[in-house]
Amino acid sequence: MPDPQLPPSHHTDDSLMERFDEEKLRRFSARDAVICTVLIAFLLLIFSGGSVRQAGEEMDPGTYRDIVMAVGEPAGWVADQLPLSDIGHTLTGWLSPDTELVGATFEEGAVAGAGGGAVGGPSPVTPEWFEAGALGEPQPKKPLETLLVTGDSLSTPLDVELGQSLAPDGVDVVRDPHLATGISRDDLVDWAQLSATQVADDEPDAVVIFIGANEGLPMPGPGGEDVSCCGPEWAAVWANRARQLIVNYAQKGAAKVYWLTVPTARDPDRAPITDAVNAAVYAAAAPMRSDVRVLDMGAIFTPEDRFRNAIDVDGRETIVREPDGIHLNDAGSALAAEEVEAALARDFDW
Amino acid sequence: MLFPTVQFAIFFPIVLTLSWLLMPKQRFWKPYILFASYVFYAAADIRFCLLLGGITVANQLAAKAIHASEDERRRRWITAAAVTFDLGVLGVFKYYGFFTQNVGDLLDSFGLGMPLPLLSIALPVGVSFFTFQAISYVVDVKRREFEPASLIDVGIYLSFFPHLVAGPIVRAREFIPQLASVRDPQHVAVGAGLGLIGLGLVKKVMIADYLGREIVDPAFGVPQAFGGPDLIFAAYAYAAQIYCDFSGYTDIAIGLALLMGFIFPQNFRSPYRALGFRDFWRRWHMTLSRFLRDFLYIPLGGNRKGKVRTYVNLFLTMLLGGLWHGASWTFVLWGGFHGAGLSAEHALGRRVERVPRWLRWLITFNLVVFAWILFRSPDLDLFWTYVTGMFSGGGLELVTIPAVLALLAVIGLQLVPESDTHGFEARLERINPIVLAVALAALILVVGATVPSQGVPPFIYFAF
Repeated sequence: MPDPQLPPSHHTDDSLMERFDEEKLRRFSARDAVICTVLIAFLLLIFSGGSVRQAGEEMDPGTYRDIVMAVGEPAGWVADQLPLSDIGHTLTGWLSPDTELVGATFEEGAVAGAGGGAVGGPSPVTPEWFEAGALGEPQPKKPLETLLVTGDSLSTPLDVELGQSLAPDGVDVVRDPHLATGISRDDLVDWAQLSATQVADDEPDAVVIFIGANEGLPMPGPGGEDVSCCGPEWAAVWANRARQLIVNYAQKGAAKVYWLTVPTARDPDRAPITDAVNAAVYAAAAPMRSDVRVLDMGAIFTPEDRFRNAIDVDGRETIVREPDGIHLNDAGSALAAEEVEAALARDFDW
Repeated sequence: MLFPTVQFAIFFPIVLTLSWLLMPKQRFWKPYILFASYVFYAAADIRFCLLLGGITVANQLAAKAIHASEDERRRRWITAAAVTFDLGVLGVFKYYGFFTQNVGDLLDSFGLGMPLPLLSIALPVGVSFFTFQAISYVVDVKRREFEPASLIDVGIYLSFFPHLVAGPIVRAREFIPQLASVRDPQHVAVGAGLGLIGLGLVKKVMIADYLGREIVDPAFGVPQAFGGPDLIFAAYAYAAQIYCDFSGYTDIAIGLALLMGFIFPQNFRSPYRALGFRDFWRRWHMTLSRFLRDFLYIPLGGNRKGKVRTYVNLFLTMLLGGLWHGASWTFVLWGGFHGAGLSAEHALGRRVERVPRWLRWLITFNLVVFAWILFRSPDLDLFWTYVTGMFSGGGLELVTIPAVLALLAVIGLQLVPESDTHGFEARLERINPIVLAVALAALILVVGATVPSQGVPPFIYFAF
């Protein structure tokens, strides 16, 4: 409650351009301004030079990235030689809003999985490779209590659409998009660990994942050397990583995973990445079809792999993509949500 | 390029240092600062620079033509053409989709098809701000309040990076005269500048982004998932978030400009201590308020054409002010709500003053917060869901001690008498600048630690 004796307001809506004119408000010189700014930049570099390098690594290729890396690499090197970064982290690390991740990283998962698999031939096909319902063996539906919707920026506003649709029916929809991340981009977040953490935190009955806007980065292959996008070797590494996510999300059959493929982007340069990612999704899911449903977004939004800005929705041409030609807009996300709900309804009651 | 990013932290010290080095030689400084501003803008999308350049040249040609003519009719026509061009650019980039969607809906209801091509157009960052500044320049020239400047001065005026993407909406007569002479290198408001940058970073990153991430986005994303108390709390949290986000941006912009020797107009003055709608708009986004007053309300007739026309003019001005924020009916209704509030206040006249101050504050603040729900809702369906949800029962999932403290700090500090906060900049200016720099570096490290791994979300007003 404010003071009832608040002084009356005498403002006029003038620009108050003279408010810095007083001599006492301009005691310093341009030299002081430059020294202060350079000093601030210097202190930030020695305390946090690594974050400049990291920011550069996370940027898309281009001139601006080159400039940031030109500063970030030496700054990162200097910061690495000094203990100041660790001191800064010790003092301020507790302020981070990021959840502490648990579980194996992609790298650890790859090492653990290296010895598995059949020797001397393809791995045997097991019943888990098949969706029982699709083979005419009806499965009892389970109640849907908690739904996790996650992924990169593709997963939003799909998460909002699903939340608005399912929350009124009592489904706890956990929305957890991680913008700018990727399965091949583990510098920002390691999705193997993230998925383990999400499962530990939320124990979802079903997980919807829509990811693929930031892929195409080189990843370490089986021999440790980097594999570049987008041939079979890269797709295989990506598929193994995706499989690690599926294993985490499926919780030994306790949950179902709904993986949305990536519709074709407007930029033809992205097509090889999208093709590799989608092929890898199907490959990753193949041995676990009892737990995973792959939802083909290309069939809805980009039939024949041809980009479309607008499609027919209920008899009317409707724009379904964002101006960037990558993401789905609200209308597109609503369509995708309908597809997800239809798939959920085959496995769950709510 | 966002202010609180590594890219800007590299960009600014270089630009500032070279700016002061070149300042004595204006023939070098002006092209340099124009180039730096375009580099800043090109980080968003290099194609947008063509648009900014086109707006600059077109308005400069119009201003010159207006100034060269003594024929009032001709001056009016050229002004109208320039304003139409600016609004046309704004319309195409910002409202085309909204317009085709609504025309399509209307024609559908008569069983007719969509007559206009569907286009998905990217919104150039800051287009609403620099088109308004261009309009103000041409109209001020037409009104003989300002003489046309050189093309390079107009180019700097429209593109100057501290205000380019989200204001304040600086008038030509406030900024261009500052380009006429070399900025005094012996008298720079370093303390105030650094203080404002630090304050802006805290407001944006530590308060606005925190409230957005933890309270506002979940509640407005899926209001059905929360009970009434949470939704009510989130509405107040949004009031705090949008204030800290926008005024935080403005503080940083004004602070950066001060370090470069330039002064921008004030844009906020404790808006949540307003005692009425009129008072609110003299405190909130002040540079937009005066733009709407000078270039819309007064040309419509202001209060000179009788009571009814005054109410209509107020309502219409705010309706269009709402639409300026974005292509959505929720923004239009938000503007309409404020227009109705202003009209009602005008109709009540001095009778309002008989109401105790604390009650006027309470009513104004809560009505403003209610209107923010419209502003934040992406569509009317969600607005309705949200408002009806506020009357439902439920727990307090979103109400946490840090969030309550943040809310109390943001709103409570605005209720401190202004005389007590006046002089804050002067006190900062008494501190040794090296101490200030070290303090700001430490503050940036602390603020940086609160940034999630996904980075700093864009300022809310970047979308407008």
